Amino acid sequence: MFQFILKRCLLMIPTLLGVTIIVFLMLQIVPGDPVNTILPADATEEDRLRVEQELGLDQPLVVQYLSWLGRTLEGDFGRSIIKQLEVGTLLFDAMKNTFILAIGAAFFSFILSLIIGVYSAYHPKSWIASFGNMIGLTGVSIPNFWAALLLIGLFSVILGWLPSTGMSGVGGGGGSFDMLKHMILPSIAAGMTTLGVMTRMIRSTVIDLLQKDFVITLKAKGASSYIILMHVLKNCTPTILTVAGLQFGYLIGGSVLVETVFSWPGVGQLIYQAISQRDFPIIQAGVLMVSIVFVLLNLMVDLLHAVIDPRVRHA
Amino acid sequence: MITENTGQLSNPVILNKEEKEDSRFKEFSRRFLKNRPAFLALILLGIIVISTIMAPIIAPYDPYEGEITNRLQVIGAEGHILGTDEQGRDILSRILYGGQLSLLAGIVPVLIAGLIGGSLGVMAGYFGGMINTIIMRTLDIFYAFPAILLAIGISAALGQGIDNIIIAISIVFIPPVARIAESAVKEVREEEFIEAARTTGAKNFSIIRYHILMNIFSRVFVYCTTQISISLVLASGLSFLGLGVSPPTAEWGVMLNNLKEQIFINPLVTVIPGLFIFISALTINLVADGFRDALEIKQ
Repeated sequence: MFQFILKRCLLMIPTLLGVTIIVFLMLQIVPGDPVNTILPADATEEDRLRVEQELGLDQPLVVQYLSWLGRTLEGDFGRSIIKQLEVGTLLFDAMKNTFILAIGAAFFSFILSLIIGVYSAYHPKSWIASFGNMIGLTGVSIPNFWAALLLIGLFSVILGWLPSTGMSGVGGGGGSFDMLKHMILPSIAAGMTTLGVMTRMIRSTVIDLLQKDFVITLKAKGASSYIILMHVLKNCTPTILTVAGLQFGYLIGGSVLVETVFSWPGVGQLIYQAISQRDFPIIQAGVLMVSIVFVLLNLMVDLLHAVIDPRVRHA
Repeated sequence: MITENTGQLSNPVILNKEEKEDSRFKEFSRRFLKNRPAFLALILLGIIVISTIMAPIIAPYDPYEGEITNRLQVIGAEGHILGTDEQGRDILSRILYGGQLSLLAGIVPVLIAGLIGGSLGVMAGYFGGMINTIIMRTLDIFYAFPAILLAIGISAALGQGIDNIIIAISIVFIPPVARIAESAVKEVREEEFIEAARTTGAKNFSIIRYHILMNIFSRVFVYCTTQISISLVLASGLSFLGLGVSPPTAEWGVMLNNLKEQIFINPLVTVIPGLFIFISALTINLVADGFRDALEIKQ
């Protein structure tokens, strides 16, 4: 097991290096000279050279990359051009909020998909199964930012039941109940795709398992349907876990649009503002940070998978 | 006369090429037509596509001219079946014109990624060894990014514009297409007829052209069709973030972005543009599922 962990961790290093290279190059394709945005219009050629030197822009690309990587590893993500704040601080706060929303969306979609998926595998002709089919198809086709707008229109504007923006109400005291109320709509909107994907996947996994010999043997031995269900669930756990882990990663990375609609103060909202203000250090660091979290999540899923399923360890 | 050996063995019993292709296509259409939801979805999708192409003829109003006194009309309002937007422009006309760009942004990235990713995957899968390692490991890095975030990062760096959105989404889609093509080629490469072709002296190029591509095409094709709906939703999302066309140009994502501020005045105002993105994506998904079943491909 130790060997497996070590091997997976070592394999992660080239991936992470590759990620930093792509994120670094992303900023290089920005059209226009970054020096021009810093210098006043009447700057002389000498000023220009001085600024270039200060920023290290006169160095070869490889040197620029390495010094950027060095600073990033020390936790120095640079300063926001517009907000004049440390990007690192801005991002860490936002990341926390993005996690909160992702957990809400995961909670909503994982539980619902498990119930609908397993039930419709057992009763393929029931109305819940048709409903599950519909959810599976809707979830993968619906733009989540549109779902967000519809939810606001219905539950905030027409019915007035739930708040439409932010994490806490004005004068709401910021208590956990207040935050939960603010989380409901964004969680549903963000979790819609995951709900669709997972419902489809769980249903087909359980249907496959129900036809396996061991289930037939259990039935022949007269095992109760509860015991059979437990056996089935145990066998589909590795598959579900892998997909769930990946989906959680997508929830963190894909929440940009939903966060924007709900003004949820997460990384997505931060990146959205940065796009309109052309504040590139934030976009760069934001993409980098979410991707690192994404890679780490995938690693955790692999390790968990190995803990549950010994076959993976020895493969 | 010496012709290049393609490695195809002639066999008089087998139907000639045209007839074989013909019967294969017939079999495919027979299976596809039997799939009711997929067939209906194809018709609906066709109607949407044709209406957007014919927008200049069938649109009731100019998509850019609005009456400010007539803004935010509800669905079913007199003279404006789908209502008017925040500047009093006819939503139906803007939907029809906007669909051209939105649908294009759904299809073009998949075509580009299919060509580039497909070629990379075929090269990696066919030649194996070092070439495979270099191509596939490089593309693997892209899996470390959540797709939407990578697309946002690239198109934010490239700057506003629907062309940049198309480039960004194409880049995001290349690695998965390459992976599908590579694994399909690897399977086919081990087949006996490839070995037979090689022993008869066929060149790499002809083997790829006549044997590999023919055998992997349907798998890559089906995978690509499933990506069109994702590309459509992704592109409209990037547009929604303000990375796509600039106003007043009509495009479904941008329309949603402009209308989102009006939701507190008319809560149903965002229904229509989103519904068109949704229905287009849904029908594309159903058609793709139909293709997959008709070609009997398991993914």
